[in-house]
Amino acid sequence: MTSFGSSPLEPDLAKLIVQTLKLKIDPASVQPEAPLFGEGLGLDSIDALELALAISQTYGYQLKSSDPEIKTIFFSLRALANAVEKHRTK
Amino acid sequence: MHETPLIGSYSPDDTVAWRQGQAHTARQFLADVRCLAEVLPDRPAVLNLADSRYEFLVGFAAAILRGQLTLLPQRRAPEALRRLVDDHPGCYALTDQDEAIEGIDAVSIPPGGGAAPWPKHIPLVPLNQAVAVAFTSGSTGRPVPNTKTWGALTAVAQATGSRLGITDGDRIGVVATVPHQHMFGLEASVMLPLVHGVAMYAGRPLFPADIGSVLSNAAGRWMLVTTPLHLRACVTERMQVPSGGLILSATAPLARTLAQEAERMFQSNVHEIFGFAEAGSVAERRTIDGERWTPLEGVCVRQGQDSCTVEARYLPAPVPIPDRVTVEPTGAFFLHGREADQVNVAGHRVSLGDLNQTLLRIDGVQDGIFFLPDEEAGFVTRLMAFVVAPGKTSEEIQRALRAHLDPVFLPRPLVCVPSLPRNATGKLPREAVLELSRQWTKADGHGV
Repeated sequence: MTSFGSSPLEPDLAKLIVQTLKLKIDPASVQPEAPLFGEGLGLDSIDALELALAISQTYGYQLKSSDPEIKTIFFSLRALANAVEKHRTK
Repeated sequence: MHETPLIGSYSPDDTVAWRQGQAHTARQFLADVRCLAEVLPDRPAVLNLADSRYEFLVGFAAAILRGQLTLLPQRRAPEALRRLVDDHPGCYALTDQDEAIEGIDAVSIPPGGGAAPWPKHIPLVPLNQAVAVAFTSGSTGRPVPNTKTWGALTAVAQATGSRLGITDGDRIGVVATVPHQHMFGLEASVMLPLVHGVAMYAGRPLFPADIGSVLSNAAGRWMLVTTPLHLRACVTERMQVPSGGLILSATAPLARTLAQEAERMFQSNVHEIFGFAEAGSVAERRTIDGERWTPLEGVCVRQGQDSCTVEARYLPAPVPIPDRVTVEPTGAFFLHGREADQVNVAGHRVSLGDLNQTLLRIDGVQDGIFFLPDEEAGFVTRLMAFVVAPGKTSEEIQRALRAHLDPVFLPRPLVCVPSLPRNATGKLPREAVLELSRQWTKADGHGV
């Protein structure tokens, strides 16, 4: 898996994930490099849809699953934060 | 007529499916089915796990030609799949992903694409042949099988398409966000195109941007088979699509406001299907026209003493409807929520389904649910409501509700949330709502 440097957006994005998906966890406890789906937080495709919607509303970045990098982007909090930082329009 | 052709009125070079931008013609499809049918093992039943709708269809058709029953798994968890196999000895899995599930024999669907001469005769399938089994959650925790005949699946697909104005060989591409292993997905996104001889899309777009791009590139008119959840995402993201499409939603009631917004934004009609696994699709309505459901051609909903039943030529016996229903003399009907969701608030009986319908009728409400928390001895338990209504305050919604409801049924509190925890098929399990209420109560400390 591609490795990324940590992103300043990580804490905000962790909060957004926890709020959007109503996870009963402390946002600070989301491991930046742990998988979001499957193992790790165990999210599913409906979570992906809700999360994509929240990211688009908050940062103006519309995710697409036809994006060749989508698996990488959604892999971890860190990967997602890097992608949002790169593509955000607000 | 005791048997019908495996495919509708496609010409040999008409498109059966679009898969990754490539058209798979009827001649290619029949060749792929023949090839696979020849190599399938001699077993009574098959678990079709194919992710691609085209591969699923090839597998389904090949199994039909071999007289094998296709099981439609409700869930993909390996443990759930193993339980199904336990209940159907000799069953094997058919996949397009080379996935291995411990304890289940798997066959990979070959890539196909071999020589494709048009056959002299299209294979015929007996109407009374059992071809698929959909499962419902049973009270015992063991999934309950509902067997579907070829006659039932083709009749429903025929009737649904005609109701929506689809004619045989129509230039319309059917795109679905719902899984084809789900009853509604099978009927509306696999059988409907197959029977009417129109094209389907093999993929299953998830994000609004994906859905928009597939619909924009559809050859001819588009039809989107979806759920209220996906539709809300498309509206929120202001998805860009060509006008004049057709949206078909099912699995959970669609709020009228959301249907209105979708019709306006996408310049396309939004229809809903009411159905359940035991009977399949039963009735249709255009959501903005009101609450009344019109049964599909050949389907009759009858008011009984205790419950209502669905009758149709292809159903071996009348099937009880799990919802409370009032039937009009014309045969059209209204739904008033599930029988099981009767609750008692301070001595007054009410149906949560009825309350939810009231909530969904309020201007600006996109989604919402009433919920009765578990009762605490000595306290009157009040209803709660979780509502998705961007731009509205809970006070405004409360005010609107007051016009429709007895004060005892007004939610305390009414919580505005960005979305509801619906599952992959758009349903809202009680456990998920309970969890939502627990989180809310804990976060804000506003215990009742």
